[in-house]
Amino acid sequence: MIAASRLTKSYGTTRAVDDLSFDVRPGVVTGFLGPNGSGKSTTMRMVMGLDHPDSGTVTIDGRRFRDLRWPLREVGALLEAKAIHPGRSAYNHLLAMAQTNSIPKSRVDEILGMVGLDGVARRKAGKFSLGMSQRLGIASALLGDPGVLLFDEPINGLDPEGILWVRNLLKSLANEGRTIFVSSHLMSEMALTATDLVVIGRGQLIADTTVDDFIASNTEATVLVRSLGAERLADVLRAGGAQVSKREDGALLVTGADASRIGDVALAEGLALHELSPVQASLEEVFMELTSDMVDFHGHTPVEVGA
Amino acid sequence: MTTAALTSPMPVLDSGDAGLANQVRSEWTKLRSVRSTWICLIVVFVAGIGLSALVSNIEAGQWAGLGPVDRASFDPVRFSQTGSFLSQFVVGVLGALAITSEYATGSIRTTLSITSKRSTVLTAKLLVIGVVIFVVAEVTAFASFVVGQAVLLAHGAKALPAGASVLTLVHSSTIPYVSLAAGGALRAVFLSGVYLLLLALLACAIGFVIRHTAGAIAAFVGILLVLPLIVTVLPSSVAQSFEKYLPSNLGLAMTLVTTRKTDFAGVLFPPGTATVLLVAYAAAAVALAGWLLVRRDA
Repeated sequence: MIAASRLTKSYGTTRAVDDLSFDVRPGVVTGFLGPNGSGKSTTMRMVMGLDHPDSGTVTIDGRRFRDLRWPLREVGALLEAKAIHPGRSAYNHLLAMAQTNSIPKSRVDEILGMVGLDGVARRKAGKFSLGMSQRLGIASALLGDPGVLLFDEPINGLDPEGILWVRNLLKSLANEGRTIFVSSHLMSEMALTATDLVVIGRGQLIADTTVDDFIASNTEATVLVRSLGAERLADVLRAGGAQVSKREDGALLVTGADASRIGDVALAEGLALHELSPVQASLEEVFMELTSDMVDFHGHTPVEVGA
Repeated sequence: MTTAALTSPMPVLDSGDAGLANQVRSEWTKLRSVRSTWICLIVVFVAGIGLSALVSNIEAGQWAGLGPVDRASFDPVRFSQTGSFLSQFVVGVLGALAITSEYATGSIRTTLSITSKRSTVLTAKLLVIGVVIFVVAEVTAFASFVVGQAVLLAHGAKALPAGASVLTLVHSSTIPYVSLAAGGALRAVFLSGVYLLLLALLACAIGFVIRHTAGAIAAFVGILLVLPLIVTVLPSSVAQSFEKYLPSNLGLAMTLVTTRKTDFAGVLFPPGTATVLLVAYAAAAVALAGWLLVRRDA
């Protein structure tokens, strides 16, 4: 369980995180979404005790980071995959981490095997590809067998097989009852992996909900209609209060009227329908629309001169 | 695929916390697992022995042509410790790199996110760097001393009697060498290693404060090389009162055999005072490093 309460953090005059409160519950994967520069990494660094909030608190299972006695065993994090001394081997990197929290050497070997790096464990980490570095970062997060895990963009640089591996790993970790908090700029990936969502823009909370509710509550149901009498159908639907737009290929996109009503209208008008399908907005579309609103909103605020 | 596949038992921890002993183990793993550490330590040892042999050989070769004044400043101990002029920069680099490499690679954020007390990281790093450099610096200092005296002996040097005065040296017809039993020799050689230890700790603390490799090393080299140059352009009355406080001159004061008066030794502190002052410099830098480490964002 991660609980953030009214977190605020500024760098100079820039407010990176603004009065942010959310809870991340155990047992499911929680996605952390926001455009670049929205404060995701800053928030994660505050959870890990790296950056000090100006005000507000964030706790891990009820305690602040600095009050954890064995931090690596309670919370694991992958914040930057490439943040490793390039001249040190993967094994020694993990060993140095393990020693701080009395974790046995045998666990280091096991973790390396689990992430598929046992063959290159003695090689310099600087020679690793981004994908291998991500695997090493995931290994270091899992090293202490913690109940709370944070991953900042864990699938960056992974091949399709690696992405699938991470997706399954995150889900299985959540199924073991752990708290999993994952940021990603790939909204489609979050739709596949996450159950809960924390969405932020400009450091402020936009939504703290489930993926399904987030999509449902932020999109108007749209229906795609094809008919030889498209013009006529559009007029009738508009007259009935629906919004209709016409695509280049002649299909209609209708909002404000569901599929069954459109079908009834078409029958009443004697028009044959070639297609009638509800369009599910993707998480990505919803997200883009929401955050572009945020940007527009901020664009209207007066800008201080001479900043 | 899942962590359930991991069978290695994790020790159950009922009391205490991650603690200093664990952090020291980790810092030692980090220090020994990069090549730059070993290169620096080998350079310290090889430069110490090599320069001792070279300089002792050159000085011994010139003895016959030296006038009374030069013979009076002939210091067999100091010749043997010439390597420390190079080593002071090498241990500075090693001390600074121990922390700035973590900032350069970003791994400092891993280090600080697996320990709840940041001050433990600073303490552990200084302990590990300190012990390693102290051992290597002392071994090098004493080995260099032995090599230097052996080279002088090969040139037909005679042992300088304990507590020998300048006068005996001026009138001596043979090259002098000293044993560790001679006045001040043991202290000078031992403090030669202590000087390197204190500089390494100072450089490490500067690294914690500046957090950039190039910046920290520039600051460290500036203190040793540039500061003395700045002092020399001050009016001589001002310069004389400042000169003896420079870390490089404290080092000189610690390693000179002061039973033998040289022109320069007149303005230096006694070895004990010089050591205490350099310890105070290092301690002040460490205190600042600790204060900043706990307060700054990583």
